[in-house]
This record gives sequence, C-alpha cells and structure tokens, in this order.
Amino acid sequence: MKKHAITLTVNGEERDLLVSSNRTLLDALRDDLGYTDTKYGCGTGECGACTILVDGMTTINGCLTLAATMNGKSITTAAGLARNGHLHPVQEAFIENDAIQCGFCTPGMVLKTISLLDENPAPTEAEIRHGLEGNICRCTGYTKIVEAVQDASRRISGSNTSAMGE
Amino acid sequence: MDNLSVVGKRVERVDVRAKVTGGAVYAADVQMAGMLYGKIVRCYDYAHARVTGLDLSKAAKCKGVIKVLGPKDVTQKEYNGSVLDMMVSADMRGMLGDIDDQSIFTSHVKHYGDAIAAVIATSEEAAERAAEKIIVSYEELPVYLTAEAAKQPDAVQFRPEKPGNLAFQLPEMAFPDNAYAWGEVDKSFEEADIIVEDTFYVPKQKQCQMEPGAYIALYDDQERLNCWTSTQMPKLVQKKLANLFELPMTRVKINSTVIGGGFGARLGMVLEPETCALAMAVPGRPVKVLSTREEDWVTSPSRHPGKYWMKMGFKKDGTPVACDAKFENYKGAYYVDASGTAFTTGAWLGGMYKFDSLRYRGESYYTNQSICGAFRGYGNPQTNFVMEQMVDRGCAALGVDPIEWRKKWHKTIGDDGWCMGVPYNSCALDECLDRAAKAIGWTEKRAKYKNQTGTIRRGIGVSVMNHTSGAMPMLLEHTVCDALLHQDATVTLNLACSDMGQGSHTTLRQIAAETLGFPYEDIHIATGDTDAAGFDIGAHASRTLYVGGGAVKQACEDVRKQIFDRAALELGETVDNLYMEDKIIHVKGASNKSISVLTIADQGVNNFMNPENGELIGQPGQIQGYASFFPPHNAPPFGASIAEVAVDMETGEVKVIELVNAHDVGRAIHPGIVEGQLDGGAQQGLGMALTEETYYDDKGICLNNSFTDYKMLGPSDMPKMTNILVENPDPTGPFGAKGVGEAGIVPPVGATANAIFNAIGIQILEAPITPEKILKALAEKSGSKA
Repeated sequence: MKKHAITLTVNGEERDLLVSSNRTLLDALRDDLGYTDTKYGCGTGECGACTILVDGMTTINGCLTLAATMNGKSITTAAGLARNGHLHPVQEAFIENDAIQCGFCTPGMVLKTISLLDENPAPTEAEIRHGLEGNICRCTGYTKIVEAVQDASRRISGSNTSAMGE
Repeated sequence: MDNLSVVGKRVERVDVRAKVTGGAVYAADVQMAGMLYGKIVRCYDYAHARVTGLDLSKAAKCKGVIKVLGPKDVTQKEYNGSVLDMMVSADMRGMLGDIDDQSIFTSHVKHYGDAIAAVIATSEEAAERAAEKIIVSYEELPVYLTAEAAKQPDAVQFRPEKPGNLAFQLPEMAFPDNAYAWGEVDKSFEEADIIVEDTFYVPKQKQCQMEPGAYIALYDDQERLNCWTSTQMPKLVQKKLANLFELPMTRVKINSTVIGGGFGARLGMVLEPETCALAMAVPGRPVKVLSTREEDWVTSPSRHPGKYWMKMGFKKDGTPVACDAKFENYKGAYYVDASGTAFTTGAWLGGMYKFDSLRYRGESYYTNQSICGAFRGYGNPQTNFVMEQMVDRGCAALGVDPIEWRKKWHKTIGDDGWCMGVPYNSCALDECLDRAAKAIGWTEKRAKYKNQTGTIRRGIGVSVMNHTSGAMPMLLEHTVCDALLHQDATVTLNLACSDMGQGSHTTLRQIAAETLGFPYEDIHIATGDTDAAGFDIGAHASRTLYVGGGAVKQACEDVRKQIFDRAALELGETVDNLYMEDKIIHVKGASNKSISVLTIADQGVNNFMNPENGELIGQPGQIQGYASFFPPHNAPPFGASIAEVAVDMETGEVKVIELVNAHDVGRAIHPGIVEGQLDGGAQQGLGMALTEETYYDDKGICLNNSFTDYKMLGPSDMPKMTNILVENPDPTGPFGAKGVGEAGIVPPVGATANAIFNAIGIQILEAPITPEKILKALAEKSGSKA
C-alpha cells in the first residue's frame, strides 16, 4: 500500500512519520507516536473516546480520520492541555465535580468540552447536553459531567482566558 | 462516630489526575519491546455449526506471520470463564453442577463470534490480513434462541451432561421441588382475595463499558505466565489461568491495568485464556490481543435475558399471602454463571416482601447467543421489572397507594434477608420512600394524573429494592490487606482489590486514613500485582468497600495498636492513658509527655544502639499491620426510585421527565462517589427499561453489537435526577458503610415501568419498553374495547 510522508504537530511538537493510505489518525497517534491518551472505544465514530482538537478548536474523531489527510495539521490531545504545570480549567472542573469514574471517555470528553465552550462560552444545560451527544460515558449518567462543563464555563469566563487556557 | 475527619469528605480521587490527562495506562496502552499481535478468527456466518474443515496453510504463508494456531495447537483442557466455582466449597460445587464447557478454540460453533483459530503476527494489521486467509468450512446446525426452542426433545445437545439443554436448575438436594421457597404456596393462594399473574420478558442488556477488551500475555524466560488485563478479579483469574495451563500459582502473574469500566463484563476470564494460549506458543515474546467493539460485545458476558413468570396473591386488606415465580433464562452458548444468576434472581425476590409463602424456580437453558454472566445487579434488575409491576397491579386491584403498600409490607430488620437464615440487620427503606415521595411530589402528581385524556399522558411510578454488600453467605468473602508503616510515618496498603472506576481505591484510602488518624495524603494503595498481594475475591457483588474496607480497617487498626503499644513503652504509660492528635501521641492530662508517630516509625526502621549504655534507642522493627478478613454479614443496601414519564399516545415514545433515587447507603464514605454510582446506575437502569437489548435475527446473527445500533440513553435523553443519600450506619460496615455499586441500576427499572402503567393504564410485559410495544398494547386495548 502507498505510504505517505506527513508532518504533524502534536501538542506543540513537530513529528514526521510515514503512513499507509488506510492508516487512521487514531492508530498513527497511538501506535506510531505513542499518544495513548487518545482512546479506541468503537472505531466507528459513535463514542467519541478518540476525540482530538485540530488547528485550535475543531474536534474530530481520530478513528474516522485518515492520517495521510492530516499533513501539516496541529493536533491537541488531553496530554497536551496543561500549561506551566497547571491543568486546563476544564480538566480541573472535571476533577472537582467528580465527573471522572473509569476515565476512558475522559480525554475525549474534556477536549469536546473545550471546543464546546470555545463556540459557546456560556451554554445552557440543554446546549451542553446536546453538545456532548457524540461522546458516550457509561459510568456517570452524565450528571456530573454536565456540572463540570457548567463549572468550567464559569472558571474560563471568570479568568478572562480563552478556552485554550492561554 | 460522627467525629470523622476523612470519611464523609469529598476528597480528590486517587486516579483522576492521571485519567484527566490521559496518562492512566489501560491494557491497550501497554507497549513492550518485541510485541507480537494476536488476531482470533471467529465464526460470523453461523450461530450454530460444526467445523468440518480448517485450512490454516495460506494464512501461515502471509507476510509477518509468526504462527497460526487451530484447536489442536492449544491446551485441550476445558474451562469455565466464570469464577463462581472458586467461591463455593467443593461439596457445593458438586451439588450445583457447574461445569467446564469452554475451549480456547472450538469445532462446535455455538454462537455468533465463537473462536475457531488464531494468528500471531508482527503487527495487528498483518495478523488481521492473515486471519482473513484462514478457510473454515461448516455444517450448519439448527439455531435455538429461546429456552422453549432449546428444550425441544430433538434439539441438538450442547453438552452430554446437561440433557435437555438445561444448563442449570436449583438442585433438589438443597432446594426441595427445585425451588427457593418458604411456606406452602399453593395453600396460601387459596386464602387470596386478589390474584395477579403474568409472563414477562427481560432483555439481553450489555454492559457497554467504554474500554473494549485488551490483553497482553508473556510466557517469560523463567517459565512464568504473565498477563496484563483490566480484569475485575485479578486473584481469581490468576488461579483460573494456573488451573487451565496446569501451572502453580507462583508461575502465573496478573498485572492489573487501569479498568475502563466493568459492570460485570470483566468478572472472571474473558479473552485471558486465548491470549495466554497464544503467548505459550511463542515463549519469550509478549502477545497483544485487542478486541474490536463488535468482538468485545459477543465475547464478554451480557445480562441474562429470558421469560419470567410471576403470580402474586393478596388478601383484601393488602396482606401479601403468596408469590410464585419462575425465571427461564436464555443462558447463551456456555455455562458461565448459569447457577449464580438463576439463584440470585429469586433471592432478591425473596428478600423484598413479607409474603406468607413464596416459591421461586430458576432455570438456565443453553441457547445460541453470546454468553450471559454478571452484569451490575446480577438478576436484581430482572426481578425489579417483574416483581414491581406485579405489586403495582396488585395495588391497583386493592385500591391502595403503591408507596403505602410497600412501606407496610417490605422486609426489614430481623426479617430473613435475600438469603434465608441471614436476617437483615439494618434497613432505612421507609425513610427512602418518604423522602423520595416528598422530593418529587408523589401525592399531588398521583392525584393529578388520574383520568387523563389527550396525546401526551403523564405518569409517576415507584419501585424499591434490596441488595447486598458482598455475597456472603452464598459465596466466599475474603480480602487480605497488609499495611506497612514507612520510616517517615506514611503507610502503604497492599491489597488486590481492583478499582474499575467506581472509586474504591479512594474510599479504601479514606477508611485507612480515618482508622489510623492520619491525613488522607499519608496513605498509598499498592495494587495490581498478584505476586505481591494476598487473596481477594475481586470487584463484584458491591463488595469492595464493605469487605475490602473491612480488611483495610482491620489492618490499619493493627498498625495503630502497634504504634500505641510502643508509645506506651517509651512513655512509661498504659495504652488507655494515651491519645493521638496530629500524629503525636500524648499522655492524658500531661501536656509535656508525648512522642510522635514519626519517631516511633523511624526508630522501628533506623534502629541504633546508644553507644554510651549499649541499649537500643526506641523499639526496633518496622511496623506492619495485617488482616485476613472475612466479613460477618452482607450489610444490605435498600433503595427506592420514583420516576415521572410522559408517554406520547400517538407515537408510543416515552420521555422520562424526572427521576428521584433515595438509597440507604449506611454511610457515604465519599458522597460524590456514592452519587456517581447512583447516577450511572440510573442511566443503565433506565436504558434496560426503555431502549437496551442485543438483538439477533432468526439465524442467531447478532444485529446490533455496536454503539451505532444499540441505543443507550445519551446526555439529552437523561431526565432531571435527584439522589437522596439516607445515612443509617450498618452495624457491620466500615464506619457503617454499605455497598452501593449495584444498587443504583435496580429501582429505576421498575419505577419507569410503573410510571408508564400509571400514564397509560397498561402494563408492558417486555423490556425494553419500546414505542412499538406501547403502540401495540394501546391498539390491543382499544381493539378489545371495540
């Protein structure tokens, strides 16, 4: 199968790699580059465990994206959110609101929340629930995740920072 | 008891920083030098067939392939993936008739996805490509998807030792007339003024834990079998693998990885046997086996579906005189938990109400579906769907309020619990019902929703449940814990209890800190290594906080006692004249006499002789506490849910508007964790009531083993939810705590069904209650009127 030489910037670090045409971004991140914080949950774009941020605030499913199409893109995963030793406010909100149980959906859920709050810094509860429809959690019943997103919204607007925490 | 400093606090969970950054290592994340990849070839063409030919030759020639294995290339020993057989005595095991009927690879396909062969290759992709080149030919066999089909006299027999495909029924020896029973049921029914009776169906619900199965095994150069897995039960899986591969336990090691949700799907062995068999074929090389979501669905156990018949009799004054029931479950392809669920489904029924007499029969029939095993609640959600609808039908006939009836007739302290002969020792169900009713406005809404007309009809329904904290006395309950005091006066607990996301490592640490009188930060929990840890059953039956917590408390009490004994010697006082504050031990009434825990801990490790007099300074010997803990009881959690629904009479759609859950949790060691268990349980309970079932076509081909086609309630589908924690300390629980891991899933099932009954005046007998079933029932009702 044809191989493609691509360059990705992952969490601020530039990485060169050679991928087959059918290599998904999820596999490239996990297996070729070692970013195992991006999870495989279904492989069909239903669960959102492989959610990542591309070029800022757009979320995509790593399992539905071919790595070869991502040449030159900048990708953020959950491992790349902390700044100066401090977690992102969305991460802090997830911790403080007990919104994490098994943790498998958490990286995707956090990244989805960042994107959601970038688009809509003060969402209503219904907007939050709608916004999270593509990310499945089987542990929390979503209650505390919704509370965490509301808390994160307050934290970000209170500190006058952008959703990226900068 | 209420002077607690760590217990009852919302401390930060031990694992959340790793999880929120993605640093937590799940099995699929483990990388090793020289890793090989295994791909299991499964039968997706038939649900029941004999393998008539297997050609591995083409696959063996594929690029990157190291080895191709068929049924004869692996151990011929059969096994039972469940661990129930290891939790009962040998006598009991014989009586129950548990059998080993699974094999690594099979030549008799019994369900969609059964394993035939495997490829080991240098990459996952190479293994997948080669697996496609394996040629299998089959002889198709008739497919049995229900108990009725499987028990036909001419049906193909799944196992010679289980005639009639009856995998299990309650054994006559312990259960006369094959029934779990008290009183004389037939006679009692003669006294009944009102009798209700019906046959229900409960669905094949799937756990859908977010992490699909992932396993690594390595048969190393010391001839030890190592397995990395996110199992709920590391110590029992260690023993099970030792038995299967005929190795001593010293040569089998389970490395527990972070568990991405369990809910029963990882209870016992899933693909550990296959993965280890592959590793044994390539000594010295680690082999990784990753399940796709679709594969995990059909290889890990589901809830037991089946037909559930029930009959209840009441006197005019509401007295429940008799209950008769039979659950015929569709067991799936292999034995697994055939005995356990068939029994407990009736145990929860028997544990709920004060019927004069009760008789329950449980039977498990082999069918051509994926295996059934443990799923949160273990028979209780099935019983809740049926029992609670029958009670509400009885209440409607009696003209009594369903909450008032339940308050009057539920079992309580002193009554026989879910296991006869073990009475309940705590129960705050009345308070649960009262507070839930008040929170949702039960009385007003119940009155308001009478005689509705129009397209959208509201309804409100209640359900109650009893459950357990650990499986004592039905099953072995035992946890070993040791607690090591380091020279800096911090403590490491060593135990095998797993945390599948429910938060048990956090609550165990809280119990340790509270018992020792140390800050939460001073405790570390070391787990995940079966070489190091003593025995533990594993995470099931809502037991970890109760039994694991009991072990932690006892081990830490041992440490505390040793600290105080040494302090007494050093201070020249008796222990009862001492007290501890901020890790300093003082003499009562003598503010100048004290010794720090740090001094005692340090002198225990770094012990030196006084050069002037040749005497030791302080007491030598590192302090270690130990507990091999068998709990005295099963601290029953009770709970109630009240659901309010809106039913669209034209489309049959049900919207859950509000759900209030009130649970007798004993004591909430960490309120946020308890709420999380109830929230998550509710999502699964509502799902069982309304949307969740694994469907098969008439050939046994699974139709919805994916998140695309299996509907779970999403964030927008969830109702407004309120959790009420009723803290009524259990006399046997650590700081009064009861297990709440399973409780949350149970009462939302019956409450939702009863709310629909209240809204439309019809009971839907099959779960999940889909719009189609509601429309059909409404049409039948209007048809019968016409």
